[in-house]
Amino acid sequence: MSASIEYYCPCLAASPHPPPPHLASSSYSFHPLHNLYFCEECDAVRCNRCVLVEVSGYFCPNCLFEVPSASVRAEKNRCARNCFNCPICRNTLSVVASDPEGNEGRMSPIVSNTLGEPPFFLFCNNCRWDSAEIGITFEKPTGLAAQLQKFEDSAPDALEFEHLKEHFEPYLRASSSALPTTTAHSHHHVNPITAAASSALARDVPGVGKYNPLTRSRVGRDKNAGKQEIPDYNSRVEIGTLGALGAGGGDSDVEFMRRLEDMAEVAALEQRWVNSWTASLRSSDLKPLRIPLQVKKSKRCPACRHILIKPEQKSQSTRYKIKLVAANYLPAIHVSLPHAIAAMELMKRSPSLNKSLSSVVDDPSVTGLMPGKTYAFHLAFTNPLYDPIQVRLKKVQPKPMVNTDEDHDKPRRVPFQVSLPTAAIGIAAFAEAWEYEDDEEDMFGLEEDDLDMDAHGGTGKDGRGKTRTVGVIERRANTTVISGEVILTKEARGNVRFNMLVSYTYRSDDPEPPEENEDGTPSRSHAAPKAPEMKNFSFYTVVDLGPVVRREESRSEYDA
Amino acid sequence: MPPAMRDKITIHSRAVVPQDAELKGDITIGAGTIVHPKATIFAAAGPIVIGSGCILEEAVILVNRRKEVMRIGDDNLFEVGCRVESPSIGNMNTISARARVHHTVRISSYCFIGAGCLLVPTEDEILEEYTVVYGPSAERRNWSGRGKLQEADLRRKHADYLKEMLPKFNRLRRGDGT
Repeated sequence: MSASIEYYCPCLAASPHPPPPHLASSSYSFHPLHNLYFCEECDAVRCNRCVLVEVSGYFCPNCLFEVPSASVRAEKNRCARNCFNCPICRNTLSVVASDPEGNEGRMSPIVSNTLGEPPFFLFCNNCRWDSAEIGITFEKPTGLAAQLQKFEDSAPDALEFEHLKEHFEPYLRASSSALPTTTAHSHHHVNPITAAASSALARDVPGVGKYNPLTRSRVGRDKNAGKQEIPDYNSRVEIGTLGALGAGGGDSDVEFMRRLEDMAEVAALEQRWVNSWTASLRSSDLKPLRIPLQVKKSKRCPACRHILIKPEQKSQSTRYKIKLVAANYLPAIHVSLPHAIAAMELMKRSPSLNKSLSSVVDDPSVTGLMPGKTYAFHLAFTNPLYDPIQVRLKKVQPKPMVNTDEDHDKPRRVPFQVSLPTAAIGIAAFAEAWEYEDDEEDMFGLEEDDLDMDAHGGTGKDGRGKTRTVGVIERRANTTVISGEVILTKEARGNVRFNMLVSYTYRSDDPEPPEENEDGTPSRSHAAPKAPEMKNFSFYTVVDLGPVVRREESRSEYDA
Repeated sequence: MPPAMRDKITIHSRAVVPQDAELKGDITIGAGTIVHPKATIFAAAGPIVIGSGCILEEAVILVNRRKEVMRIGDDNLFEVGCRVESPSIGNMNTISARARVHHTVRISSYCFIGAGCLLVPTEDEILEEYTVVYGPSAERRNWSGRGKLQEADLRRKHADYLKEMLPKFNRLRRGDGT
C-alpha cells in the first residue's frame, strides 16, 4: 500500500486551489473517495468536516429497539430493556437460569432438558462473569432494567444528584420564566430531535454567565441576584462518611489497597470510567451497565441544507433513503506502481523468499522509489456514471510563494518532475452487468475511436513505441488505465506527493442550461462547444507515490 | 524432532471419526468422541489418548511433542481452528475458536480458553479448575461454576446431534483393530 490517492474538499480553504501537498496541514483537506459526499444542488464535493450532522433516531445496538426521542432522556441514554454490558470485559450479557438443584454430581447419559429454574442471572459468555457473584438475581427473565432500576436509584450518588436537582428546581423554574427565551436560532430544515438537542445545548443556564464578553456586566449583576436567592445546600451524606459507604475515596481506599492480594481485586480504569460517577476501586463493586444507545445520523450540505445522507428509520435496516456519495459521481482513481507490483510478483514466485513475503510488502527497499531514477505509475479511472465521460488531467504546479518561503531555510529544487497525458481520456459508461462480448465494442466503438484519436494526437502515440509510455495503456469495461511518469532528482527525499487537477466532461441530465455558476467551485464552466448538454466538473486530488528511499539506507538493508 | 511414530490408531466403535480427519502416530479415541473432517491429531513424539464425549471441530490441531502420553479427558470441546499442545487436559473444558495452548500448560477441568487467546507461558504451569482465560491479552478469572449442569447438557446434545449428522455426509474411519 505504497501509492494512494485522496480527493480534495475545498471547505477549509478560501480559494478553490488546494494547499501544497508537502505541508503537513494539507492532509486535513484531502480525504479518501469513500468518505466524501456530493451535493447535487451545489454541484460540489462535501466531506465529513463540513457537512451538518443531525440525529435521525436513537436505538439500542443490542436489541435494535428504536427508542422514541422523548424517552431517551428519562432512560438516561441507555437501553431500558434487557441489554447489559459485562462490567469486567464489556461484552453483552445474556440472561440465564440457574442449574436445577439437587443432582449436583449428575453425569447421567440421559439428556435432560436444559431448562433451568429461577432465579435468573446475567452471564457473560466471554469472561464467564455472572451477576450472582455480586448478588444480583432476578425472579423472571424479562424487564431486567426495571428490576435493576431500584438498585440504580438507591445508589448514594444517584440519590445525592436527585437531592441536588430538587434543591435547584424551584430556582431554575423561577429564573427560566424570568429570562427571555432564546429562540433566535434559525433552524429552517431541522428535524425536531436535533432542534431539541441543540436548543438544550444552547439554553442559558441561569446563574451562569452566557459566553458573551459584551454582556458581562449585565450577567454579573444577574449572578449576584441569583446568589442571593439560593439557600444553602445541605448534602444528604457527609463527605467524610462517603468513603465508609463504599463509594470510593478517602481512607477506606487506602486501607483496601494496603490489604490487596490480587491485582484482579482492583477495577481497571477502563472498567470504571464508563460510570457516570466516581466509582469504587474494588472490582467486586462493579455493576452491569445498561448498554448505551446509539443514533442514526443524517447529513446535510452546509451551503444549501439539502440532505446528503438519510438512513432508513428502522434500526434493523442498513440502507439509506438518501445517499449522495461522491463515489457515485466522481471517477474512482486507483494508483499503482508497476515496478513495485513486478517486484512483489517476483518475490511470490521465488519459493525461498516466500516466508518473508509479509515483511517484503512493507519493505521500502523493494517497493520504494530511488532518487535519480524514472518511474512509471498507473492511474486506473473507473467511471460510475451511466454515460461515457472524458477526463483531462493536469499536474498542479506549487505556488511560487511557497517555494520562496522554503528557499529561505534551504535552497532546494523541485525534487521530482511528473508528466501526465495531456489529451482527453475517454472512459466508457458504467453498466449494471458488464459482459465481455463483441458487440460491446460496437456499442461504444464510435466514441472510442474519437477518444483514441485524441489520445494519439497527444503524447500517447509518441510514447507507445518506447518502453515507458505516457498515455492510455488499457481500456476494460468502464475502467481506463493511463500511465504517467515521474522523474526523481538526485536529492529527492520524503514522499512523492503532487496535486492533480482532474476535470471531466459528462452529459448532463437536466435540460436547462447551467447558468448558476458557483463562485467557490471551479465547476460548471460550460466548456463543450459541439454538444450543448455536455457539462464539465473538476476536482483536485493528491497523488502519493510513496516514500523515496535513500540510497545509503537501502544498501545497509541489503547488507544486513 | 524425534522420528515420527508408527501409526497405531484405535477408535472406539461409538466414536465418530471421518476419513477426512488427519490422524498421525499412536492415537486412541474414546467412546462418543466426535472428530470433524479436516481436524488434525498428530502424535509426533508420544501417543495421544482422547477420552469420551469430546468434540474436535474443523481445523483443530492437537499435537503431542513430548514422549509422555498426552491425555485428554471427557466432554471437552475444541472449537474451530484451535491448536492445543497441552500434555494433559481434564474434563469439561472449552478451548474456543483460534485459541492456542502451548505445551507448557496443563489444563485441569472446567476451564475455558477464550477465542483467539494465546496461552504460551515459558514455564510449566497448571490451570486451576474453573479458570477462565479471555480477552486479547489473555486475562484470567475464576468461573463461579454456576450453570455448569446446563452446559454439560448442552455439550451432550451437541455431540448427539453431530453423531447423527456427520455420518450422513462423511465416510467414517475405523480403527486399526477392526
